[in-house]
Amino acid sequence: MPENPTDLPPFARSWAQLYAIVVGSLTAEIIVFYLLMRWLS
Amino acid sequence: MSVLDWSVLVLALTGIIVYGLVRSRGSQSMDDYLLAGQSLPWYHVGLSVMATQASAVTFLSAPGQGFTDGMRFVQFYFGLPLAMVVLSITFVPIFHKLKIYTAYEYLESRFDSRVRTLTAGLFLLQRGLSTGLSIYAPAIILSTILGWNIYWTNLLMGGIVLVYTVTGGTKAISYTHLQQMAVVTFAMALAGFLTVKMLPEGVGFVDALHVAGEAGRMNLIDLKFDPNSRYNLWSGLIGGFFLQLSYFGTDQSQVGRYLTGESIGQSRLGLLMNGLLKVPMQFLILLVGVLVFVFYQYNPSPTFFNKQETDRLKQSQYASAYQLAEIKHQNLTTQRQKAVLDMQVALKTDNEAGQDAAGSVLRETDEALKKVKTDVTDLIKKNNPSADTNDVNYVFLRFVLDYLPHGLIGLLIAVIFSASMGSIASAYNSLASTTVVDIYKRLIKADSDDAHYLSVSRWATVGWGIFCIVVAQFANRLGSMIEAVNILGSLFYGVILGVFVVAFYVKSIGGRATFWSAIVSEILVVISWYLDLTAFLWLNVIGCLLVVGIAWILQKFSPRPVETDRLP
Repeated sequence: MPENPTDLPPFARSWAQLYAIVVGSLTAEIIVFYLLMRWLS
Repeated sequence: MSVLDWSVLVLALTGIIVYGLVRSRGSQSMDDYLLAGQSLPWYHVGLSVMATQASAVTFLSAPGQGFTDGMRFVQFYFGLPLAMVVLSITFVPIFHKLKIYTAYEYLESRFDSRVRTLTAGLFLLQRGLSTGLSIYAPAIILSTILGWNIYWTNLLMGGIVLVYTVTGGTKAISYTHLQQMAVVTFAMALAGFLTVKMLPEGVGFVDALHVAGEAGRMNLIDLKFDPNSRYNLWSGLIGGFFLQLSYFGTDQSQVGRYLTGESIGQSRLGLLMNGLLKVPMQFLILLVGVLVFVFYQYNPSPTFFNKQETDRLKQSQYASAYQLAEIKHQNLTTQRQKAVLDMQVALKTDNEAGQDAAGSVLRETDEALKKVKTDVTDLIKKNNPSADTNDVNYVFLRFVLDYLPHGLIGLLIAVIFSASMGSIASAYNSLASTTVVDIYKRLIKADSDDAHYLSVSRWATVGWGIFCIVVAQFANRLGSMIEAVNILGSLFYGVILGVFVVAFYVKSIGGRATFWSAIVSEILVVISWYLDLTAFLWLNVIGCLLVVGIAWILQKFSPRPVETDRLP
């Protein structure tokens, strides 16, 4: 089962960058959810 | 259900199954049957992983949970993206490089056959029982609300899946997953859109969110660290991480999905896609439930959503007590309607004091309504001790049947079937592959040809299908089904994960220490759950840490060195 560098999507230069995008998205979601909760209550 | 609903339901389900079977035609080897020949692209892997996790209870219980408990359940999924990253870095390359069929095969190369068999056995026990629940959970709700016979509904739910899983194997499962996710996403989005459209004139989406917020339903984040609170940021991040890591890393129903990727990168991308989409998807499903809650602020709501039980109550000796509760409920809903209209005016005029005052009335009536509901639940229990009193599971379907247009009702019932079929299919497949690869091929018949193992795999799928349907027939009321399934998972996943953590990261511990540590830890986890020592999500953390800790102590005091600590 080969490890193919072309598997990476065009917006990421490395797997590490892709992992950072996933973790960053989660962090952003938590912050948005918190702000949404504060705004609506 | 009308003729239109039935037509939509039958068409949607037949279309999905036929498409899956047609796309998976051709000669099959065991590799094709269990791993789709490791030929699938990332979006197949990602959608298949998502469809496997999103069972019918996700679409029945989760909106109901949003309705009764608000958005806080979304925190349960915060550990998932982190788990996807760890899996992509660690588990995926190891599993791919070893060219294994099941996750448990790896344990023999690392420890010995005893640890492999024990872990595979724990998986089979947990997955076999929880698949029975996955069949029963939507079947009981559909049968109660639509008046279908529960035994036939169980049989239909578990039986349809068996047909295409046995015939088409993993490829058919993966192709049907694609269609199932498309139907589910479209129907849920349409249901949410129509709920907002049905709100009174002048009340838009943002107003609805404000009403939900004032009524305490937009409780998205709880920062307080409390081990006994079921859902908060920390239990979601830490407990959820361990649960999702064990589920995706060690549960063959998921490992079998991402092992179908055509390369390490495609499997990784599929998992990371799940990591990016899962939290927003759960947010939206819960939000549909919250929007249903807002809808009922403007409209009369039933005292109890499981109508079959209230109909029974009306015919019983408790009819007059129920009637009194109904009157109380009606008065409170009238108060609630007035408060929500006041809130609307205050929102339009930017009157913050007015918003607070109306919000306060909304919360008070909400509490009073919950009290009335508890009284009615007590009456139902007195009248029929075996009644299903967990109303969370009935909220969304009752709303769909009472208010959504014909055609969409059929489509949403198809969603429930599709979601159920998606997760059950993966479960059957994983139960069969573990049985054949880890038990039959390892312990019973090691040297036969591919055709023989393919045939045994098909029979194993049939056998497990029958077992799960039988479990479904005997399943009883277990509270919120989505929680019941997760609690059952938490009893086993932590220990299984602990075994894999030792395997991957603690090379100084051998098979004997890990084997006994796993057994002792499983007993301790079950005791912790039985004594209700902590919220169930933490059982995953406890199980994992216990295995690692006890194995380390046992190894430290073991007279045998690691390299000789193996069974032949």
